[in-house]
Amino acid sequence: MKPKRSWWVWLSIVMILGWAAGAGAADEINIGALNDMTGATSDVGKDYALGIAEAINYINDTGGINGKKIKLFQFDYGYRIPEALTKYSLFKQKKCVAVLGWGTGDTEALAPTVGKDKMPYISASYSGHLCDPKKAPYNLFFSTDYSTQARGLITAWFDKKWPKKPDFGKRKPRIVFAYMFASPFSSASIKAAEDQATMLGFEVGPKQDVSLFAIDTKSQILAMKDFKPDVVLHTNTVMSVAATIRDAYALELGADNIIVNWGFDEALPVLAGKAAEGAMGCAPWAFFGQDVKLMDKVKEYAQKFNPGIPLEKRTIHTIQAWANAMGLAEALKRADKAGDLTGEGILKKGFETMRNYEIGLGLAPVSFTPTDHRPQSKARIYEYKDGKFVMMDEVDLKARWPEKWEKEWLGW
Amino acid sequence: MSTTFLPCGVYHENYAQDHAWFQTNLIKGKMILLFVLLYLVVPWVADVYWISVMNQVGYTIMGALGVQLLIGYCGQLTLGHAAFIAVGAYTSTLLILEFPWPQFLLDVGLAYPISIFVAAIVAGIWSVLFGLPSARVKGFYLILTTMAAQFITVDFLITQYISQIGGRGQAFSLPAGTIKIGPWTIDSDVKVYYMILTFVVICIAGVANLVRSRVGRAWIAIRDNDISAEVMGINIVQYKLMAFFVAGFIGGIAGACWISNLAAISPEHFPWFWSLWLVGVILIGGVGSIHGTVFGALFMVVVMELLQMAVMPLSDAYPKLLMDFLFIKEAAFGLSICLFLLFEPNGLAYRWWQIKNYFNLWPFSY
Repeated sequence: MKPKRSWWVWLSIVMILGWAAGAGAADEINIGALNDMTGATSDVGKDYALGIAEAINYINDTGGINGKKIKLFQFDYGYRIPEALTKYSLFKQKKCVAVLGWGTGDTEALAPTVGKDKMPYISASYSGHLCDPKKAPYNLFFSTDYSTQARGLITAWFDKKWPKKPDFGKRKPRIVFAYMFASPFSSASIKAAEDQATMLGFEVGPKQDVSLFAIDTKSQILAMKDFKPDVVLHTNTVMSVAATIRDAYALELGADNIIVNWGFDEALPVLAGKAAEGAMGCAPWAFFGQDVKLMDKVKEYAQKFNPGIPLEKRTIHTIQAWANAMGLAEALKRADKAGDLTGEGILKKGFETMRNYEIGLGLAPVSFTPTDHRPQSKARIYEYKDGKFVMMDEVDLKARWPEKWEKEWLGW
Repeated sequence: MSTTFLPCGVYHENYAQDHAWFQTNLIKGKMILLFVLLYLVVPWVADVYWISVMNQVGYTIMGALGVQLLIGYCGQLTLGHAAFIAVGAYTSTLLILEFPWPQFLLDVGLAYPISIFVAAIVAGIWSVLFGLPSARVKGFYLILTTMAAQFITVDFLITQYISQIGGRGQAFSLPAGTIKIGPWTIDSDVKVYYMILTFVVICIAGVANLVRSRVGRAWIAIRDNDISAEVMGINIVQYKLMAFFVAGFIGGIAGACWISNLAAISPEHFPWFWSLWLVGVILIGGVGSIHGTVFGALFMVVVMELLQMAVMPLSDAYPKLLMDFLFIKEAAFGLSICLFLLFEPNGLAYRWWQIKNYFNLWPFSY
């Protein structure tokens, strides 16, 4: 038999090429980005990943980091942890000064490592657990954390909706939580939500376990009906939130819906139809296309770099990505001005010098202090009304409960 | 396949020589060189990224060894091996975090080594539990049974109950300094590399000796024809369960080693895809061959990374290449299995054997 040598030749070529990868030039700042475009969270991850690349291009076009260009090493890790780990090592090899991460999976898996390596890790996992500098000093984000969102949502509903109900003043309002018990992402804010509801005098009903992959939630809705809630807090992603509020609508549960950011985006009305009408949600950033500072640039760069995707298909996740990228760029600029672009320098002389820093993009002002990494205390609450997302309230938790905000609520 | 042609004039005078792993001085020299390369040269030459890649290779080898043993040597198809790796990882983590260790054991750094051993035993027993149906069914039905192991263990038990222990939510994080072997705190990629490499060597030596023992020959007999094996007096149920135990045992060690690499675990580390991936590793490396497992792991991890490295220089011109690379990687996994089954059905191990023979027999072709 004639030996088949061709694939050996190709393999050798690939291996030789493998050594050709070089690090960035001296006047460049290397940043790593881990995104999910093919894995379990790719439905929202794709738009976020595109936003990251577009935002970095915008930063480079507008002078970079004090004249230094950012070189982005962006990888899709398919939401696979081992993959995230090798890519993170690759970022270290490429002398990246910070990483723009993605979800709960990679953020939690890498949290001990980034703390040890002093590598700022700016991800789209907004868990309140990451806000305590004692536990996760190098995990940061530019958003309202889940716990603050849940507290803000409950408070906004209590202030604005409850007084209009016929039973107002006759009994306590009733609330139920619908989320996936086992998911660290879904359950991150439940403790805070329960605390807030109890503090405001709600009657808290039995929690309902709704999977992130749920397509039928009738049994959970029927269980809720026994309790007759006035409001349901959803902390899952948009697919399962849509399924839940659709079933609640069909079974005439009659409760209002309040939703944490990942369940409240442009896909919700598409997936839930009429059931989405009147839903309230926390959106720390503006929705794609709304009239806020920097939105014109977001649109311009979306068209410039991804002309194949029509603007009406782009979502709030692009804005999320821009917020994280712009926030990181600002921290880098400050650290670079102070002449210290090490991990610790970026944290201490960059992020932790931010006080009420305005990025734009509809994001409330951001502050980080050495003892508190909660980016903001204002939860911006939107309502889906007549086919539009309309801002209905802004709850400033720090202003309303300064004592508790300072002393009790950090880190959960 | 593992027969080595010996040079003229080399012959055995007793069984010990006949059974020796390394039969000539040249082979002994090569193996010593290999060990020097792995233990001294690689950690010295490789940077943080390549060490991390090598750790993935080691983890993959340990995971795939159990699969190789079940599928390649005992003929028991499995598609749920990640479950046993998960059991090992969680057992070890829980022991470290929750078990009331006597202080002197903590002082001498024995908690983690003991937890590795216990994790291996627990994973072995868990594997036997899901291996029980192999007494009645084989082939396609067994695949479904082992898949059930994956879903019952990871998606149900670990996700819903085990990972909730201690109120930490889903991810367990191991505080710095808890992973110690004796006085040696494992807190860097290089230390993890040494530990994983040592366990890989021990596991490979163990399995390699096992498959040439009475037990291993029984497994091979069951693989080749279970009815004939039973007629010959082999208790096939006992030996099948033994194979499940050993595979689970090695999976447990793999899981317990894996936690040192991350210092945190969650159920998301052990998806069903990982079980499938491990089967892919042995298909590409060579079914029924131990060094096939090593070649398969190297191919699946290193070659994929090299492909990515080859793409990176082009990314300046085509920025989307990096983002889209994983699609190629996913496709490469499926495509390479198809191509291997078509053109290299015996895997890389067979090709290695041919290459060795070419040199051994040169200038003659046979």
